[in-house]
Amino acid sequence: MSEKTEYSDWEPVIGLEIHVQLSTESKIFSNAPTKFGIEQNSQASIIDLGLPGVLPVLNKKAIEMAVKFGCSINAEISNTAIFARKNYFYPDLPKGYQISQLDDPIVGQGSVEIECNEEKKLIGITRAHLEEDAGKSIHDKYDSSSAIDLNRAGTPLLEIVSEPDLRSAKEAVAYLKKIHSIVTFLDISDGDMSQGSLRCDANVSIRKKGESEFGFRTEIKNINSFKFVEKAINFEILRQIKIKNLNNEIEQETRLYDSQKNETRSMRSKEHANDYRYFPEPDLIPLQISNEYIENIRKSLPELPEQKISRFCSEYGLSIYESEILNSSKGMSNFFEKVAISVKDVKTAVKWILGDFSAILNKNNCLVEDSLISSSDLIDLLNCLYENKISGPAAKKVLEILWNEDLKVEEIIEKENLKQISNEDDISRIISEVISKNPKQLEQFKQGKEKLFGFFVGQVMKTTEGSADPKVVNKILKEKLNQ
Amino acid sequence: MKISEDTLKNISLLSKLEIEKSMKEKISKELESILLMVDQMNEVDTENVKPMSHPLSKAQNLREDLVSEDIERDEYIKNAPQSDDGYYLSPKVIDQK
Amino acid sequence: MNDIVSLNLEDQIGLLEKKEISSYELTSLYLENIKENKDLNCFISLNENALEQAKVIDNLKDRQSPVQGIPIAHKDIFCVKGHKTTCGSKMLENFISPYSSTVFEKLDNSKTIMLGKTNMDEFAMGSSNETSFFGKVKNPINPLKSPGGSSGGSAAAVKANLCAFATGTDTGGSIRQPASFCGITGIKPTYGRVSRWGMIAFASSLDQAGIFAKSALDSAIALEIISGFDEKDSTSINSKVPNLKEETISNMEHSIGVPMEIIEKIEDVNVKNNFLESIKILEKNGFKTKQIELPFLDYSLPSYYVIAPAECSANLSRYDGIKFGYRCDNPRDLEDLYVRTRSEGFGEEVKKRILIGTYCLSAGYFNAYYLKAQKIRAMITESFKNAFKNVSVIAMPTCSNGAFELGSIQDPVKMYEQDIYTIPANLAGLPAISIPSGYTEEMPLGLQFIGNHLEEGKILNISHQFQKLTDHHV
Repeated sequence: MSEKTEYSDWEPVIGLEIHVQLSTESKIFSNAPTKFGIEQNSQASIIDLGLPGVLPVLNKKAIEMAVKFGCSINAEISNTAIFARKNYFYPDLPKGYQISQLDDPIVGQGSVEIECNEEKKLIGITRAHLEEDAGKSIHDKYDSSSAIDLNRAGTPLLEIVSEPDLRSAKEAVAYLKKIHSIVTFLDISDGDMSQGSLRCDANVSIRKKGESEFGFRTEIKNINSFKFVEKAINFEILRQIKIKNLNNEIEQETRLYDSQKNETRSMRSKEHANDYRYFPEPDLIPLQISNEYIENIRKSLPELPEQKISRFCSEYGLSIYESEILNSSKGMSNFFEKVAISVKDVKTAVKWILGDFSAILNKNNCLVEDSLISSSDLIDLLNCLYENKISGPAAKKVLEILWNEDLKVEEIIEKENLKQISNEDDISRIISEVISKNPKQLEQFKQGKEKLFGFFVGQVMKTTEGSADPKVVNKILKEKLNQ
Repeated sequence: MKISEDTLKNISLLSKLEIEKSMKEKISKELESILLMVDQMNEVDTENVKPMSHPLSKAQNLREDLVSEDIERDEYIKNAPQSDDGYYLSPKVIDQK
Repeated sequence: MNDIVSLNLEDQIGLLEKKEISSYELTSLYLENIKENKDLNCFISLNENALEQAKVIDNLKDRQSPVQGIPIAHKDIFCVKGHKTTCGSKMLENFISPYSSTVFEKLDNSKTIMLGKTNMDEFAMGSSNETSFFGKVKNPINPLKSPGGSSGGSAAAVKANLCAFATGTDTGGSIRQPASFCGITGIKPTYGRVSRWGMIAFASSLDQAGIFAKSALDSAIALEIISGFDEKDSTSINSKVPNLKEETISNMEHSIGVPMEIIEKIEDVNVKNNFLESIKILEKNGFKTKQIELPFLDYSLPSYYVIAPAECSANLSRYDGIKFGYRCDNPRDLEDLYVRTRSEGFGEEVKKRILIGTYCLSAGYFNAYYLKAQKIRAMITESFKNAFKNVSVIAMPTCSNGAFELGSIQDPVKMYEQDIYTIPANLAGLPAISIPSGYTEEMPLGLQFIGNHLEEGKILNISHQFQKLTDHHV
């Protein structure tokens, strides 16, 4: 019996819990900064440390961001969101409880559409709530101690909980990408998974195809890249199928994904640690969010990826495929539009951004936001190309130099002598010279040896050191040779 | 309400408090007598009453998203029982990777 | 000279204003008196810089606040930057706060002198001051008796003339019951009137700071200073603080609500008679009284003993031996560190309350206990709301007994019953005051006035009028 057939008897049921760090300036309950990479504990205020007597005061911006997200997934926004304490002990949880939400989360039920294997599917979102992040424990710095860094403690998180609507690891990735693009387009998170700005837990269970009951599920914690989400879920599905096929039961538990071994493994079960004893946070009165406030945010929502994709198609004449790629991240979308607005030929711009420009970014492992070639440089370059000031190969060379040197397009063209001669009179004069210097070849050409056309082009290019516009050369050469 | 040994064990585990063997009976008894007093609540019909978690009915005060740089790490860490190089130290946590 | 320390605040202010005494002299007198009364154990720590600070204040050109130069005491629950703040616990025995509470800062900005920090029940949990890690406080009237709790150190210090006035906190009666036991005035304002920033939390939805003083008028002066909106406390009320001194001395008419059903059930005849006599005095002097009903008040105590422990069980989780406070010796591992740190660092009463709170919040019990208690809290609040439709203040005894002998109450529930008349105001977040109203077996009794939300002025006013008619407070 092959694994393949066994697999096809089972249907995976997957739900994701996505933690999104909101990009506020200050923390959710204190005025400490939320910057990364600062010296340990130097951005942990007395509130983040949970010193005796300190009190949380909620950051307005975090609410605004949560409401933005809620509006963009067409969810109900709570008018009276409540914060709750989630109690458990851990060294990087300074107060011994996390301020989170249980009943009455700020964002209620909503949904997003994903596309997977060319099929569209609506994925339900159960809720999204605000909470504070914990600090970090570093276990490999000291032999017998764990080092606690509370810089991250109190960073605002939006926890987005999906319905168990996902049926494959691929769908889970598509859904995660969708959420990623929403939060980055809304500018409420940088979405950087490698920095932990977006983290994901996956709830995975399997059931026989056609069954309506859910099986026991496991929760895979802290998966930190799109690739790992797919791998971790696939590993877990297969693991569960193997257990089921041996007629054993799945244990409801929390598992960790080890990306190096590509496996999930059980975390030590903590029977008692699971009673979180949630109760309303007495230091924070219920929020009052007015419908007017919500409507104002709804009205001022920025354009979301879907809207942008179709607008780019109609406004700039892109294909859906091109538009989707250009809208795969907010950075790329913005970059393209900046270029598209100022460039004289959008079609060429699309070709270059998706082609050579993206290739340079990939080669340098760089996000468009950090590109060493600015949009205005690219505009200059594309316009030079359009105006036949330089040739395509020369443009490629300029692009490379733009990345490596701090020069303007014009300067590079000048310095590298890449200026294209497209003036017909100039080219005509050069061609006349070339023809008169090569009477023999002219004779042969006239007798029918048409291959020699290439020889004349070559001679013109040689004379101009490659800077003559080939189109113009072709045109005039044809005229002259056929005179 | 009787406090069973299991219950006492459970709540002391949750609250990270150890009850000495010799104190167990006394504490159980006292907790039971407190809960007996608390159980008087059951005489009240609270059907349809909205629970009140806070004596204030006003809206929550919020703050602007502003950063203050008045963090004095070295001052705060002086109160730590064990620290090094700006880190708070705890016994090694084994079960989490 | 020793008479000066027994003067009320108003008179001391007068002497300072007229420069008949300096703050330095006044501070020295108090420090001397503190030394002489060391046995009362009112203070956990003293401010070594008090005299120096008094000197600086004496050198100020003009008076910037009414209480400028007045030596006072703070309950050791208020964080003071650079000072030990213990909350009466071994857990914080060596905790030096890196920041100051709003209450301290407001009084400090008003140029008061902090003489020291007063003893208290551990984490404000107790009604006798016997749960303090730093030893019990003795009642200045009779050292065998309890000063009440949890703010017993502040109450005893005011009574024994060890400070001009003192701060305290009241979660279920921790200002009013000790005020009653020590025969002084103690006021707990409306929840949210005074910022809780820097005041170590016991039960966040009930805790409120207040004042101990020799009279209602003195309390009014001090309370006005510490009141007001604070952006650092999101539960603080953003509304203007009235001129409390003016409201206290103004000619207000009152309609005093008396919950007769509750009064009739008082077991101690002396307490009952004393209360009824107080009401008679008021009636005789033209104050209208009105019988009111406060249904469900009997369930305040059960409801409170779910809510307060539940909140404290979470509030005290931060004492885990990692970032500050006590840590046990040689922990085997993290679990051992947590368990021994907390078991050794907390006293018995605190542990008991954490356990009760944990139980009430644990899976399967949340609805039966926590939610039920919150519903009863709502009903009690509602009954006050209805009562205040017809009366301006409500009168009740502060406590069902006078000060008891230290060590005499061992049954926790008996001890909790100390607060049956004070807890309702905390549950509903209402302002309440206790003023001396006479004696039982040579120990003082307290008369309590409860006011409507933000109406501290009214209870201060009726208290002041009562104090004009009586001399129990002198």
